[in-house]
Amino acid sequence: MSERVAIVGIGWSGFRPGTPDVSYKEMIYEAAVRAYNDAGVDPRKDVQSFVTVAEDFHEGTSIFDEYTPDQLGAAMKSMHTITGDGLHGLATAVMLIRTGRFDVVAVEGHSKASNILTPDAITAYAQDPVLNRPLRLNTHFVAGMEMNRYLYESGADADACAGVVSKNRRNALKNPLASFAADFSPDEVLGGPSLAWPLGMHETAKSADGAVVMVLASEKTSASLTDNPIWIAGIGWCNDSPSLESRAWAKLPYIEKSARMAFQQAGIKNPFGEIDFAEIDDTYAYKELQSLEALGVCGFGQAGALLKDGVLDPAGEFPVNVSGGSLGVGHLLDATGLHRALEAALQLRGEAGAHQLKDVHVGLVQSWRGVPTTSGAVAVLTN
Amino acid sequence: MTLLERDPQAPTAWRGNLPVTSRYTYGLAGEKFFRTLKDEGKIMGTVCNNCGRTYVPATAFCERCLSELTEWVDVGLVGELHTFTRLFVDYDGNPLDEPELVGFIGFGDGGLIHKLEADPDTLEIGKKMEAVLKPKSKRTGSILDIEHFKPAK
Repeated sequence: MSERVAIVGIGWSGFRPGTPDVSYKEMIYEAAVRAYNDAGVDPRKDVQSFVTVAEDFHEGTSIFDEYTPDQLGAAMKSMHTITGDGLHGLATAVMLIRTGRFDVVAVEGHSKASNILTPDAITAYAQDPVLNRPLRLNTHFVAGMEMNRYLYESGADADACAGVVSKNRRNALKNPLASFAADFSPDEVLGGPSLAWPLGMHETAKSADGAVVMVLASEKTSASLTDNPIWIAGIGWCNDSPSLESRAWAKLPYIEKSARMAFQQAGIKNPFGEIDFAEIDDTYAYKELQSLEALGVCGFGQAGALLKDGVLDPAGEFPVNVSGGSLGVGHLLDATGLHRALEAALQLRGEAGAHQLKDVHVGLVQSWRGVPTTSGAVAVLTN
Repeated sequence: MTLLERDPQAPTAWRGNLPVTSRYTYGLAGEKFFRTLKDEGKIMGTVCNNCGRTYVPATAFCERCLSELTEWVDVGLVGELHTFTRLFVDYDGNPLDEPELVGFIGFGDGGLIHKLEADPDTLEIGKKMEAVLKPKSKRTGSILDIEHFKPAK
């Protein structure tokens, strides 16, 4: 099968730092209804398969995949849940369509982070139980150590990382979906409290609640559903060894490889020249710079200069996280990659509102599953 | 007290928790690694001759070529500080009164994550760091048999 796959419907609920008024099912329902309405499909008749992403410990419910069908209209249908980032879900949906067995597939991811009362205990429980967990260290130590080695090898400085926070939170001022918009200067970022030196508290994304649903269709079916398909031109994913003892600390080889996979499918040889904008990982500010280099947008150690020269600004040559990113919008846990794909799709449709970029045709999306993981995914979207 | 509890009009929320208790075994190589640390006070690695890599802590197989690893080496107690951080929050995310120093100390092509005892101002990437072991009678065969790493003399 070589048929292309399109995003034909997008929907969301949120995003807000807290959602005490609604359940996760109601958030997903709202996002799903929007997406189905946007695509003009009836989930009970037209959507043939469903993929959701979720993590039991984030949900506070064991075997959480059992709780995913009803709010999507997926009961008594082909569906499954995977533990991965939203982009892994998107990749799975693309593969389902390319089997030729399904024409229309829905993908869902959500975050009810405000219900998680002990988030640090969950990431701590993800540490190696024999080698690392006995040290009783907050898992942000992994980011602090990665940032330190990244700055050491790349030559990037603390000012560039603070600049990422300032840019993204200012970008978020124009995004009504963003929870953490602020006119925040790099000096204010650097003057904030430390988390895991050299990493500051303000350089770490706060979490938000929300849900994202996308409807994907085969090329043939998409023609009858929309005049404005967003093509998933390439999608790749990769995991490095999870061991803290054998992973790379300065570079992201798993993002490099994910990007190569996605770019090969999309026929992209020169990312900086051929891609118009990017929505990428900024869970921690330094990750935006480190990820840009792994994505091949620039050479290793060059992203800081791009930031300082304004190249990554909305008006720059290669806008990054115009939405505000995770620093400005809030980190949506497992739904984070889908949120970035949503923002890219809105841009490519020309529906991004106040933060709409002019004349964009190719968007880059990248996601990471957070500490302590080495799990990433990359997608190229086109209009 | 959360905002939710202060607002009498706020929707009800229910609480739950899961007392998860698990047992972890570390396998043939892990057993030997920790036994040697406990009994002989040595940090051991295994060598993959196919890839030319030395795994520390020792593993039973090469994660790159999947060869079985049977050649063991003593990598000494002094490694090189590959990276480090000063952590300002504890395991559960609460602020620490005294920030802790944590590092990755390279041995062979791997290394160990551990706490550091040092003046943070003199610490730098590349510094030689030495494992400080607990007295033999107090060692149990755990990563905590190493108390911390300190700058090597």
